Amino acid sequence: MAYNLGIPKLDDLIGEIRGGTNIMMIGPPMSGKEDLINIIAYRGLADRDAAVIVSTREPGNNVLEWFERRNLNIAMDRIGIVDCVTRTLGFAAPDTENIKMASSPVDLTGIGVKISQFFEHFWMEMQLRETRLCINSLSTILMYSNLQTVFRFLHVFTGRIKAANALGVYVIEEGMHDAQTIVTLKQLFDGMIEIRGGEDGYQIRVVGLTPKPTPWFDYEINGVDVVLRG
Amino acid sequence: MIETGIPKLDGYLHGGVPEGRSLVYYTYPGVAGDVFGMQTICHATSNGRLGVYVASSTDPQMIRDQFSEFGWATENYDGRFIVVDAFSWLIGADSQERYVVSDPEDINSLTQCIKKVMEEMSEPGIIVFESLSTIMDLCGESETLDALEEWSQYAMLYDHALVYNFTAWPYSEETLLHVKENVCNSVISVGGITGDVVFGQYFGVLKVDWADLARKSTLFKVLKPGGIRAYIPKILVTGPFDAGKSTFVHALSNRAVSVDRLGTTIALDHGHVDRKGFAADIFGTPGQERFDPIVKLLSGEAMGIFLLLDSTNTADFERGKRMLEITKSFGLPVVIVANKQDLAEALTPEEIRRELDMPADVRIMPAVAATGEGVFEAFETLVERVMEVD
Repeated sequence: MAYNLGIPKLDDLIGEIRGGTNIMMIGPPMSGKEDLINIIAYRGLADRDAAVIVSTREPGNNVLEWFERRNLNIAMDRIGIVDCVTRTLGFAAPDTENIKMASSPVDLTGIGVKISQFFEHFWMEMQLRETRLCINSLSTILMYSNLQTVFRFLHVFTGRIKAANALGVYVIEEGMHDAQTIVTLKQLFDGMIEIRGGEDGYQIRVVGLTPKPTPWFDYEINGVDVVLRG
Repeated sequence: MIETGIPKLDGYLHGGVPEGRSLVYYTYPGVAGDVFGMQTICHATSNGRLGVYVASSTDPQMIRDQFSEFGWATENYDGRFIVVDAFSWLIGADSQERYVVSDPEDINSLTQCIKKVMEEMSEPGIIVFESLSTIMDLCGESETLDALEEWSQYAMLYDHALVYNFTAWPYSEETLLHVKENVCNSVISVGGITGDVVFGQYFGVLKVDWADLARKSTLFKVLKPGGIRAYIPKILVTGPFDAGKSTFVHALSNRAVSVDRLGTTIALDHGHVDRKGFAADIFGTPGQERFDPIVKLLSGEAMGIFLLLDSTNTADFERGKRMLEITKSFGLPVVIVANKQDLAEALTPEEIRRELDMPADVRIMPAVAATGEGVFEAFETLVERVMEVD
């Protein structure tokens, strides 16, 4: 099983990503990380993979709207969203086919159960063997729970990603956490997508999936196309 | 004794949790263990007990909504359902609950509130903790383990039963061992059958100090509405042509579908049964010999088998026995259903036993699938036998 990010130039440089890989995506606020992680999920859906998106920042419906706004014809039977927001806003929304509700970002047990349920559904009932788990974002979870707690949660679920030969991508906000937190969490990942501010916008590179980091590229997001320059 | 509301588990526990004792649902990550605690408190309060739910990771109003999703309307419990709010503070929200933990990250604050609740409960009741692991995450492992001892002593004093949902995240070995061995009078393991993904869930008793330990595991499924159901993923219904297999599957199931041509099953029947705390998926095979390869395919991983026989058609009995061989059912629980008992020339189950030369321990049960008579009795008998298997 092999995956790609759906970002042409970077995919060419890093080659196929083997199943069971966990990647941290770290970058400053407003640098387009949410778009990027949704694009990674979308590229998987377009390749007939399944996608599970854990949303701690936006209600699940907003995540689906992201795809709708871009007129993307995604296969609804292959996308699952774990919504950690709606119930904390006081809405008694029941689970749907595509959106399962966690009580809050504190409820790591519930988040874990919902992720497992989607994985079981895609694997057992739909016989899909390639699934992408996109968590947006770990920073919110870290705001509610301490590092040790989040580390335990990730320890379990990065392990599940390996067992299922899936691809895991986890967003972290740069500047929100101390260096020790980032170093601690890094142990759990096989690679990183790093984003930084450039002279004219933002730059991106991949670290850890190839012997040397890729070069930094300026990038621009047009719909679901990530255009790299340089 | 306070029942857990999960019939099979209450059987393992010889009736439930005695007053003044404690139980922990020790759940592996990714498995829906929290529903066990929810079902236990709702069963208790709906049976007139006083129930306290300690919310540590969910807004109290959302908790009530979550219970409703399972069909448990807490507002109908006449004030016997009380929520201790150990969550709102964490997200800076106001609380409408009578009992609010002022600082859920401080174990002393939690202890103070829990003791107050125990003192003010007008009669012995049950206190269920939504997530012991969240409390441990917020307050520290050793601090929480120390507090558990204090809560247990206090609960014994007032004859309250304590029930914890605990997710076994990778805490220290000592902590996990302590929770498993020392914290509670009973430990129920709630686990997942894992391969590439978690593809099945089970519960079993790891420890109980008021009854003999039943070393058995039961598969379960979570239904909405409904809650925990002991679950049998595959029961096979086989038998000769025109024995009434499809009629049996439809009579037994809450919902069912058949792949047939002009009323004859040519691929399979599938039904789902939800009855008396048990759920099962039922697969009916075709009966004609030319479909035997399908029978073989369908029988893989079956946990129990119904052999349907037309009680009036002795000529097909040998074919029935042959079909049991095709399903490779040796060692699996089998119930023979003597169908069409309403017809005048029907043989009795004992006559059928002699014709088949079946040993006395194979149950042969009379039924009329067309009217549903005897169908559920046969189901309950087979389920009992499947659940007896270690």
